[in-house]
Amino acid sequence: MGMKPVQARGPVVAAAADLQFALPELAAAFQQETGHEVRLAFGSSGNFARQIEQGAPFELFLSADQALVERLARAELTVDDGQLYGEGRLALFVAASSGIAVDSDLSGLAAAVKAGQVRRFAIPNPAHAPYGQRAEELLRAKGLWEALEPRLVLGENAAQAAQFALSGSVDAGISAWSLARAPGLTPEAKVVLLPADDHAPLRQRMVLLKSAGPVARRFHDWLLGSESRAVLARYGFDLPAQP
Amino acid sequence: MHAMTEHEAGLRVSLHQAAPIPLAVELTCGPGEVLALVGPSGSGKSTVLRCIAGLHTPAEGRITCNGETWLDTRARHAKPTAARRIGMVFQNYALFPHLSALDNVREALPDRCASDARERATRLLAKVNLQGLEHRRSHQLSGGQQQRVAVARALAREPRVLLLDEPFSAVDRATREKLYGELAELRRELAMPVILVTHDLEEAVMLADRMTLLSQGSSLQTGPPLTLMREPDSLDVARLVGLRNLLEVQVEAHEADYTRLRWGALALRVKRQADAPTGAVTTACLPAEGVLLLAARAEREADETHLPDGFDNPVSGIVRRYLSLGDRVRMTLEVPDAAGALLSMTLPRHLADRLSPTEGSAIALRLRGAVIHLIPTTRKG
Amino acid sequence: MDWNALKLSLLLAAATLGVLLPLGVWLGRLLAWRRFPGKVLVEAALALPLVLPPTVLGFYLLVAMGGDSQLGQWYQALAGRQLVFSFDGLLIASLIFNLPFAIQPMQRAFEAIPIEVREAARCCGMSAWRRLWRIELALAWPGILSAAVLTFAHTLGEFGVVLMVGGSIPGETRTLAISIYDRVQAFDTAGAATMSAALLAISLAAIAISYLALNRVLRHARHD
Repeated sequence: MGMKPVQARGPVVAAAADLQFALPELAAAFQQETGHEVRLAFGSSGNFARQIEQGAPFELFLSADQALVERLARAELTVDDGQLYGEGRLALFVAASSGIAVDSDLSGLAAAVKAGQVRRFAIPNPAHAPYGQRAEELLRAKGLWEALEPRLVLGENAAQAAQFALSGSVDAGISAWSLARAPGLTPEAKVVLLPADDHAPLRQRMVLLKSAGPVARRFHDWLLGSESRAVLARYGFDLPAQP
Repeated sequence: MHAMTEHEAGLRVSLHQAAPIPLAVELTCGPGEVLALVGPSGSGKSTVLRCIAGLHTPAEGRITCNGETWLDTRARHAKPTAARRIGMVFQNYALFPHLSALDNVREALPDRCASDARERATRLLAKVNLQGLEHRRSHQLSGGQQQRVAVARALAREPRVLLLDEPFSAVDRATREKLYGELAELRRELAMPVILVTHDLEEAVMLADRMTLLSQGSSLQTGPPLTLMREPDSLDVARLVGLRNLLEVQVEAHEADYTRLRWGALALRVKRQADAPTGAVTTACLPAEGVLLLAARAEREADETHLPDGFDNPVSGIVRRYLSLGDRVRMTLEVPDAAGALLSMTLPRHLADRLSPTEGSAIALRLRGAVIHLIPTTRKG
Repeated sequence: MDWNALKLSLLLAAATLGVLLPLGVWLGRLLAWRRFPGKVLVEAALALPLVLPPTVLGFYLLVAMGGDSQLGQWYQALAGRQLVFSFDGLLIASLIFNLPFAIQPMQRAFEAIPIEVREAARCCGMSAWRRLWRIELALAWPGILSAAVLTFAHTLGEFGVVLMVGGSIPGETRTLAISIYDRVQAFDTAGAATMSAALLAISLAAIAISYLALNRVLRHARHD
């Protein structure tokens, strides 16, 4: 249809950084279909939760960790308890220039660490980024945390951590799998999906906030629809059962 | 509004304060009169000027001009500077650096927007001999030229009082001489009181009708400049005007046409000053020109300065110091007959060479009694 | 190029100038010509944003404007939304972190006017307004221009405080500098490069103008 948006500015949506590529595509599709524009802001979920508690004017929050949504709901800042929209996965990112072997059980990484080839390793900041917390859990489970902790470079959020790893500023990093599916990523980058067994699941939950207007609500519902789910699946999210 | 009586015309100033700069000043200046405010640095002369201008308000004071009250601290009344209609020439001229000479003068005109304002400003600049330079800015003008612009600007105001704050101190000697001449010419046309602040006594003598001597904020004496220099009221004034010969004397008697003083073992005949009580011990002052060589009799007749007033007091002095100052020589002599008191005299070079005095040699002097002045006892010290 | 962000940055800079120019002239004159007890402390306080890390400034601003603060609640009652994360909150932050950039050059310019020149203006019978316009501003304008240009450029470039106080709300608080940060995280190097080049060009022009004006003031001073 492609109608021009009627109102001056659309609602602001706070989204976890792992949706950096998926969500703009979804928002464009939504605008194409309904004519409504939504404004997107990306960052670490923990950061957004804090800002929302301080009164930031977001109308919809797509968190990478449902615990944060539960926290907001308990504080009565949300319309309801929210909805699961997908489950995230971790990936190992290695720059093309790095010689580290990539494999899904991190044995190549472990070897490189032992050989002293890993000078710097990027993960999102565990203090407020869910992907960072899961990365730490995984590294601990694999016995690599102690060796890597002094070499960590913490990204503000999942996207920044991935950007560090792919730009070659660090030797390798762990961040969101959905970011690896981004088009335009340098083809020589090496990325491998990591198994979900050794870390708590990344149940990604979204919720409408108290100030949510009709467009935000419509977008929220649209994101649970089939078109949106197809896009999310393409970006590597595991989908919850259709509501 | 009653008509102005004669004694209301002109400027009357009374200022008193203890801090930040102490002041205790009373002065008056009539229309067309030039009053010099003289004193060493820090004596408060610029402060007095600034009070008159309204740039500084003293703790206590009263200023009236032509019957109008400009300042009355008791009535808490202080007319703002702009309303007083004063013209002021600052020490460093304070020209507006971004405006031309013409625009500087124009700003001061009471009606600067009038159609003939330009012509009036041009005429004023011509009056101070700056025709042709109207469009120059201050950095394109010499010191003397800047001073003239400042004067023109002050006059443009059609001021009730003209205030000059050491206006000649920032230029070289040659320019200064020229500017003295120009101011002397100009003042003939000025009908308002003019107050000239300077630390240079000679300037005051040259340009002023009357002079007030200031020291540490107090006005010590007011009068024609030569009077202050020859007949100081007090020792302070005597020292400030540069009188070096201060003699400790005792008044012996007042004769018919002279007064007799005792100076050590000497008896001096001086001009008659009957108001000094007989027997009083006081200080007499004598300018350096009053100490002369006692020439041989034949020469004495030819000498112009030897006036037949019978007041030459012969004295013998021993040379103690000899200072060569270009074409003049200054000597300090000890007078044994006056208990070793010191005298200072100056001689033209050629005379000194003829004498060729040496340290310790005795010289015959005469002291001109006509210029020996008794400093009033009451204001001693 | 994120045009919204550019517009927002320009709007913030212009609004900041609109308030700080007259305020700067008033305060600059006051500090240049008056003495009062505690003046040194006032000058030091005004200069603080020059040396404080932006995060410290941001932290204190959050405390002063956040939801729990008096100011925040008053604004909430007035406007129906939070002061932090809003453009108005950014403007307040901008006014504060630009204070020394606006005031100091103006103060220096006013200080450079010899007191005798101002006194001479009074003696010439000029009214206070005429003195301000014809003499004081006419002589101090290079400093005022310098202050304006520096404030403008500094506002465009401010990052830390804006991020802390404003977040990165597109169209509301996502200024150009924040947008660059955002684009880098989104792997959009081209977009980041364009915007960075734009900011670089603007900053260079600002410094050049400011130096030209400074030279003008020095030239005047040398001729006095």
